[in-house]
Amino acid sequence: MEVLMAQIEALLGTSGALTLTIAYSVCIGSLLGFITVYAMFAIWMERKVAAHMQQRYGPMEVGGWHGWAQSIADALKLLFKEDLIPRDSNKFMFWIAPAVVFCGVFAGFIAIPFAIGVQIVDLDLGLFFIIAIASIEVVGVIMAGWASNSKYSLFGAIREAAQVVSYEVPAAIALLVPILVVGSFRLGDFNAWQEANGWLIFQSPFMPIAALIFFIASLAGAKRAPFDLPEAESELVSGFHTEYSGMRFSFFFLEEYASMFVSSALMATLFFGGFTLPFVDISSAPAPIAMGLGMLILLVKTFFFIFCQMWLRWTLPRLRVDQVMAMGYKYLLPWGFLCVVGAAWFEAKGWGFLA
Amino acid sequence: MEALEMYTVDRRDDVYTEELKLNLGPQHPSTHGVLRVELGMDGEIITAARCDIGYLHRCAEKIGENVSYLQFGPYTDRMDYLAACNNELAWSLAVEKLLGVEAPERAQWLRVIVCELNRIASHLIAFGTYGIDMGANTPFFYAFRERETIMALLERPSGQRMLYNYIRPGGVAHDIDEMWLTDVLGFCDEFEKRWAEYNTLLTTNRIFIGRTANIGIISKEMALDYGLTGPVLRASGVKWDLRRDVPYLWPYDECEFEVPIGEGTHGTLGDCWDRYWVRMREMMESIRIIRQACHKVPSGDFTEKSMLKMYKTPLKPPAGEAYMRCENPRGELGFYVVSEGGQSPIRCRARAPSFCNLSVLDALLPGCMLGDGVAIIGSLDIVLGEVDR
Repeated sequence: MEVLMAQIEALLGTSGALTLTIAYSVCIGSLLGFITVYAMFAIWMERKVAAHMQQRYGPMEVGGWHGWAQSIADALKLLFKEDLIPRDSNKFMFWIAPAVVFCGVFAGFIAIPFAIGVQIVDLDLGLFFIIAIASIEVVGVIMAGWASNSKYSLFGAIREAAQVVSYEVPAAIALLVPILVVGSFRLGDFNAWQEANGWLIFQSPFMPIAALIFFIASLAGAKRAPFDLPEAESELVSGFHTEYSGMRFSFFFLEEYASMFVSSALMATLFFGGFTLPFVDISSAPAPIAMGLGMLILLVKTFFFIFCQMWLRWTLPRLRVDQVMAMGYKYLLPWGFLCVVGAAWFEAKGWGFLA
Repeated sequence: MEALEMYTVDRRDDVYTEELKLNLGPQHPSTHGVLRVELGMDGEIITAARCDIGYLHRCAEKIGENVSYLQFGPYTDRMDYLAACNNELAWSLAVEKLLGVEAPERAQWLRVIVCELNRIASHLIAFGTYGIDMGANTPFFYAFRERETIMALLERPSGQRMLYNYIRPGGVAHDIDEMWLTDVLGFCDEFEKRWAEYNTLLTTNRIFIGRTANIGIISKEMALDYGLTGPVLRASGVKWDLRRDVPYLWPYDECEFEVPIGEGTHGTLGDCWDRYWVRMREMMESIRIIRQACHKVPSGDFTEKSMLKMYKTPLKPPAGEAYMRCENPRGELGFYVVSEGGQSPIRCRARAPSFCNLSVLDALLPGCMLGDGVAIIGSLDIVLGEVDR
């Protein structure tokens, strides 16, 4: 951020608040661009992954090579679709809900360290911020379900509220385990710690359990199968976005993939070394190379976890509402607590494998 | 039609909760066609349910009274469109009974093979769509891969992929080609491997078992009271299969096969998992029957000689009535035909298994969760073309 501001000041001769505004605009613009491109790629990837798991090819025509332009075509189609708002809906809430949903996840992106220096703000409470801001999404979903004035939407919204609120607790508890070791909420510190000592997942026997709990809870948070109850197709048609179409619908779609990215990137950053590699010191390379390599490494790790999420989605059946709740409260939460206590004891004794 | 009974819970001055009326269908991804179920919902719990059928009513039985005996064959295909051969068989047997003819030996064996192949195809759809009902999309595509092979196999003698019009009064429409039986046997070997794959993918999945075991329990008495047939009845522990108990085609007597019944493996006897598992095992039994039948197909006529002449003029069975029932993939399909000696029957009625099996739905749904409701509808494996006719 400081680098960017300095460059803007040198280039445009601005100063103070104006520089800050321009710098933030540039950041947000590039983030929006990144999320859009990423989401298009992820949707294409999801279709390809699904297809190959199901003995199909998936998109093959649009754009030539393996239908790479299919998502672009889809996005264009959604853009040009008629903007439908149901007559009996609460129009304002219906209109604003997709934006609220997207904002929560989008805001989470600003704290993610992509590489050395490639991070919009390195917040002291970065991890805390991402977890907290992602909860806004629930409000948007409830708004969407309520405003649609459709019973299926309402069911979806209520399920979402119950599910996401329940699963945020085990997710946050599981994240306490790496926080205990590193002793910071700042995501940059996690990268620094892991660059110095190695991947956190190997720190103690409680780490893999915590990682697994976080992964499962983040699946539920992103409404991915087997926790896709809010939009359970075979039960609720499309759940909370049944009445949505066109661009508004695509925002819900974008949100789902964006939140997959955030949770996967967190997973990579907290447990699997972030943008660092073991045994290779990339930070000593010249800055542009280190940045590029760091981003590449983080993206590869992130996409691995995104792939895992897709893999599960196309393999597992869906849980039932009460089973989802039972899983969250009866299994993940106690195990999460156990991990925190165990890890704390482990650290206090100084038995950590790495440091 | 009586309206669904609704009640209001805990009414206070302005804040109160009341039961929500939810329309499941007729356009809904998991009602397997145009079934409409009116549900009373208390949160996620279903408190009342009422089926509304008739959206696909095409007057099939009335048409049967206005077309000739041979012309009605294709209409029966379109009743249970997933098991066309089995429907034709029931109709053809009823007409044969009226005419007093019997299909030649080769035709009998061919009928067994095509009907069992079609049973597998039908159960594959049941398996695949049940996966989708449970939120697992992939098994459906696996099932369709094998169904595709079956359709290609059945296309060779009949010329059609889905609504075959292959079995007709007096025999079958065309003879098979030389390689057909070999290819059918090859498919049997292939299918056994695939079947094991299905089980690792879906049957033994913990989530799947959790979703289906102990859900929608139909006790033995209840199953008999509602007149359920087919896998739904057998899953409740009643060993009743027309192929074994009332062999409508004598080759079934010469084949060795088991009648799988529900055992309550993962829960209570007669739950959704049992119904699913009975269908899965029936596919294997069908493979067994096909294997034996393929080795026993004799050479000879594929259509009764005396019928060949009759095909040129409209069939005119002597006055009388006939009822024939067959074990369809979904249960007992019966055709009741009354002839007064004319070109078309004066009465033509069908006892459709899906229709009778659906009757139990209203009793099963209350008390379940919405997701369970979908599981129950899927486990009954109805085809709306047959329910509404």
